[in-house]
Amino acid sequence: MSESNIATVADVEFGVELPAFLPDISIDNVKRFAVAAHWDFPRFTDHEAARSEGLPGALVPGIMSQGFFAAMIHRWADGAQINSIDTIFRAPVLVDSTCTINGVVTDIDEDNGQVEIDLTMLNEKGETRVFGTAQITLPV
Amino acid sequence: MTEPLDIDALTARYVGPVFDEKTFTFDAQELADFAQACGETASRYTDPADPDFQASPTMPTRLHPGARFPEGFPEVAGLGMDAGKAIQPIAPIRPGETIVGRTHMHEIYTKTGRSGRMVFFVNRMELFDASEQQLAVSDSRIVIREKPSE
Repeated sequence: MSESNIATVADVEFGVELPAFLPDISIDNVKRFAVAAHWDFPRFTDHEAARSEGLPGALVPGIMSQGFFAAMIHRWADGAQINSIDTIFRAPVLVDSTCTINGVVTDIDEDNGQVEIDLTMLNEKGETRVFGTAQITLPV
Repeated sequence: MTEPLDIDALTARYVGPVFDEKTFTFDAQELADFAQACGETASRYTDPADPDFQASPTMPTRLHPGARFPEGFPEVAGLGMDAGKAIQPIAPIRPGETIVGRTHMHEIYTKTGRSGRMVFFVNRMELFDASEQQLAVSDSRIVIREKPSE
């Protein structure tokens, strides 16, 4: 079900925060993603196997975190066309932990419908694990 | 002891030319599963029955080239870590079509901190359909930390 309430660039205000998104990083959902992405490696889907590699537990694939960023944008603005997302993997995200993704509008070009959004994925301690910037286009 | 990489020489020799070409096809249900697992709600990404069904914008960053580095590229210390991904979707990627990914080394750069120098290698995969229309540009950044010479 869509939470979208942004239809055009006129609906967007500079500095507005997108609704926070709590992504599903349960082992079952990460496994589903890993299979679909052909990234079905034990370090992402099996805590014990990940620990045997010296990791603190199974890790959420970075590309899944990037996918969460895109999903968050579409939940906010269903019709948004994503022009780019640049994502930095600062630190690991543990499977079965709790993370929150925040987003804020940092630039608007009303003539061309272009909007820039800064995105941050935080763990339970409020530490940034993944961050990025998206450029999107909305109807004018 | 590890000699520091000569970034200018590596750039001159390896940045630019395509070093890998690989074809891909995509199953509709896998594309839908990818989108749904990410929490997508837009039906053009989650529902294969949607008339505009297509891959999620970030899907191409999951694709690996057939080779990690250009032929002859020097061995670097350690495996390197995935430092980030960037994606520029240009046109929809549909299930069932065959697309080609051509990869070149796009950039090599460094950052230096208190713990030494880190070297970033950016591989860029450009995706095209059968008519050579460009569909996406996907960048993958690998970082290594150089061990200081003793």
